[in-house]
Amino acid sequence: MSLLSDFFDWLFGGIAMVLGKAASPRTIRNLKSELSRSLLAKLGVALLVVIVLAAVFAPFIAPNNPQVQHLNQTHLPPLGFSAATTQTTSEMVNGSVTVVEKTVWVNSTAEYPLGTNSLGQGMFSRALYGARVSLLVGLLGSGIAAFVGVAIGLSAGYFGGKVDDALMRSADVMLAFPSLVLAVALVGLFGKQGIAVHDPFVALGLAPGMPATFKIPGTVILVVALVNWVWFARVARGEALTLVDQEYVKAARSVGASNFRILRSHVLPNAITPILVLATIQVAAIILLESSLSFLGFSGTTLSWGFDISQGRQYLATSWWISTVPGLAIVLSVIGINLIGDWLRDALDPGIEGEGGV
Amino acid sequence: MSFARFISKRILQGILVIWGVVTVVFLLRYLTPGNPVSFIAPLDAGPELRARIAAELGLNQPIYTQYWNYLTGVMQGDFGQSYIVAKGLPVSDVVFGRLPATIEMAVAASVVAIVLSIPLGVISATNRHEPSDYAATTFSLVGISTPNFWLGIMLVLVMAIQLDQLTGAWAWLGWFSPPTSGMARYQGSPVLFYDGLRYLLSGNTAPMIEWFQHMTLPAITLGTYFTALITRLTRSGMLDELGQAYVQALRAKGLPETRTRYRHVLKNTLIPIITVLGLQLGTLIGGAVITESVFDWPGLGSLLIDAINRRDWTVIQGSLIVIGCGFVLINILVDALYAYVNPQVVND
Repeated sequence: MSLLSDFFDWLFGGIAMVLGKAASPRTIRNLKSELSRSLLAKLGVALLVVIVLAAVFAPFIAPNNPQVQHLNQTHLPPLGFSAATTQTTSEMVNGSVTVVEKTVWVNSTAEYPLGTNSLGQGMFSRALYGARVSLLVGLLGSGIAAFVGVAIGLSAGYFGGKVDDALMRSADVMLAFPSLVLAVALVGLFGKQGIAVHDPFVALGLAPGMPATFKIPGTVILVVALVNWVWFARVARGEALTLVDQEYVKAARSVGASNFRILRSHVLPNAITPILVLATIQVAAIILLESSLSFLGFSGTTLSWGFDISQGRQYLATSWWISTVPGLAIVLSVIGINLIGDWLRDALDPGIEGEGGV
Repeated sequence: MSFARFISKRILQGILVIWGVVTVVFLLRYLTPGNPVSFIAPLDAGPELRARIAAELGLNQPIYTQYWNYLTGVMQGDFGQSYIVAKGLPVSDVVFGRLPATIEMAVAASVVAIVLSIPLGVISATNRHEPSDYAATTFSLVGISTPNFWLGIMLVLVMAIQLDQLTGAWAWLGWFSPPTSGMARYQGSPVLFYDGLRYLLSGNTAPMIEWFQHMTLPAITLGTYFTALITRLTRSGMLDELGQAYVQALRAKGLPETRTRYRHVLKNTLIPIITVLGLQLGTLIGGAVITESVFDWPGLGSLLIDAINRRDWTVIQGSLIVIGCGFVLINILVDALYAYVNPQVVND
């Protein structure tokens, strides 16, 4: 019991200390001055706020249920566009039934502002719900990867020697596989499990007609964390290597502080800035990775941007918007997160250079 | 440490990593759910046939014997035979038959990226806060934020479909022909650069033109992320270098500005870029996998995805090992290049 409570004490004390360091007055001042100076940072914050709001309040914003099919409303173009579709009807001509193909121009309707797909589902509603999946996978994936990678990297850098060798050689083996290749193999082989989560707004009865549950691709979250922890381990190890020789670490050791205490109270808080910046960039990278996986059909949900892009491919010649809309959503959110990453990097100057792509 | 010792140490490390790769890939089959026999056996196969297939696969041997047999086989270039994707063919034939198409796409994308990005980065850095700088910065921000499979689809949409419908001229040229229909004709036997060159030498230009047409969109699709990334790195690197004291000294000495920029500043900028590119090679190979699936490109990536979907284990293992080894090999080359241009790292 005491071991467990010690562990929680260690964990939560560590989190409090890390947050205290990350939100120190100097850090906040630097962030503010960079934000007021940089137009791009403002744009990034604005984009992210819009996307987070869209994801959280999707059931209120969406004009229609993204999963309900309207088979008489298929292939509607976005507002302001019209599209030609061929309609086949059977007609009686001179006493015999013939199939007549007619080209009909379809106009957009306000109910589906960004058009509909081949099943008559609104692309705007689907884009809103897709934001939920992408942001959740990005945040959870990056968070788990950071937790594991930082624990491993800090230990490797702090203890050195055989521990370091063993951990870093296993990291090398991980790095020998391109992350997309490894992720495709792992999701494909372990199976694409989706976790159905109840939508709190619908459960409270606030958003009638919206889907009661939405699926989080569980395997994908674990796999993207598994293929990306290495980047955190490398950065954390590098930080630990320089911090372990600092006077205050030596002083703590000389008064008899335990290794865990030193790691938590002295090494981690001082290594947190580059880790935070990396975690931000990784959210963007993981969103791209998730969209690639669901594009290739390795996902646990059919309500995601990548999946919609793959669905629109076969209608490219007639309904261009089906692939275009979710793609634009990906580009805008990744630009927003990348701009925030640039903002943090410029304001906090952690001295790392854009590591870790898709 | 001498350069030779540095390289040999690096190669030794690489061999250890490749051993790790083979081990992980071997173990993957035992960690994942599903019995390999059930994917090979016909649906109505009885227990006797299943036992024979298991024996054929060596599944009835103890795991360490299987591991040893697999490891020694791989060392001799024997990855077993394909049971599903290419029935009865040796996996090495299947994998190495697909490899050239992937390598050509990756090389073409790298050429596109390097040729475009370094001038863009230099223009951007030397014209700071001017329209050309803003244009290049915007391009690189959008470029690193765009998923390449979507870019590929958009290129097909704009180049092959919309322009085709508008003008008809593109169709007549055969330029940017819709790759999905175009490449389908070459499933299994793509027009490789090598083939094109062979025909070109004997006076037949058609295969080379065909190669170029089919390569254009995939190379742009795969190369855009790297073009954007290197532009960004070149710009920030050059801005850093231009503020250094030695640049002032060179200018004070009266060295022409172009010589200062290209002989000294750009050269120093390129050294750290090599390291980042080494780290990003995985992105290139991963990007090739997904670009192949957009353009139905008959390379290693589409083979891997096909094999995963149909659980052709020997092919999955073979392609993963070849991709992993190729990646390790390129990384050693990048390290060697880096040590050559920057001898300091040898002494670390």
